[in-house]
Amino acid sequence: MTDVIKEDQVLDCSGMLCPMPVVKTSKAMKELQAGQVLKMIATDPGAPPDMEAWSRQTGNELLRSTTENGKFIFYLKKK
Amino acid sequence: MSVWKTNDPDVKKILYVQTHGEKDPERTATPFFLATAGAAMDNEVCIYFTMNGPQCVAKGNGEKIIIPRKGGGGKELKFFIEQAAEIGVRFLVCQPSLDLHGYTMDDMIEGVEMIGGAAFNDMACDADAVIGF
Repeated sequence: MTDVIKEDQVLDCSGMLCPMPVVKTSKAMKELQAGQVLKMIATDPGAPPDMEAWSRQTGNELLRSTTENGKFIFYLKKK
Repeated sequence: MSVWKTNDPDVKKILYVQTHGEKDPERTATPFFLATAGAAMDNEVCIYFTMNGPQCVAKGNGEKIIIPRKGGGGKELKFFIEQAAEIGVRFLVCQPSLDLHGYTMDDMIEGVEMIGGAAFNDMACDADAVIGF
C-alpha cells in the first residue's frame, strides 16, 4: 500500500509533446510555495526520463512517478 | 563583463550554436526547442546564430520557414522561436554572418543581440555545455 500524496495543484499535459510538459511544469512550479506539491499528468512517452532529469537539475523533488491507465503521473515537491 | 548574466554557481550555462537556415528547414526547430527545455530546467541558455543561422531570426522568416512533417501539416518556425524567447532563451548573432546575407540588425527580430568572435569564445569557455548544430 503506497502512501497517498496530497497535491496542491494539478497540471494536465495530456496530448502535449516535448518540450511542452517540461515548460508547463516549470511555469506551474514557479507559482507554488516551497514544500507544495504539483501533480502533473502527461502522455508523452518521453515524460518519465524528462521529469526525472528536470527534478535532478532543478532540485525540485520527484516524490513519485507512476503510470495509470496509460497516463504518466508525477508528484513534484517545490524546493 | 561576460555575456552570461548569472553569477549563481547552481545555474548552468548552456550555449547552443545554430549554423542552419532557410535551405534546411528540418534543421531549424530543434535548437529552439532543446534550448526551451534547457531554460525550463532553470539554466541560463543562449543560442548563437552563425553561418546560415541568422536566417532563423530574420524578420519574416519565422512565418516563411515551415518545419516539414511527413504527411503534411508542418509548423511555422515562429512557434519554436516564440516559445524559446518567452522562457528567457537569448538569441545572439555575429557581424560577419549578418554580412554574409546582407542583413543589418534592423533585419533581426526583436531581442536579438550582437556579439563578436571574442565574446563567443569567452562564452564557450565559461559555459557548462556548448552544443552545435
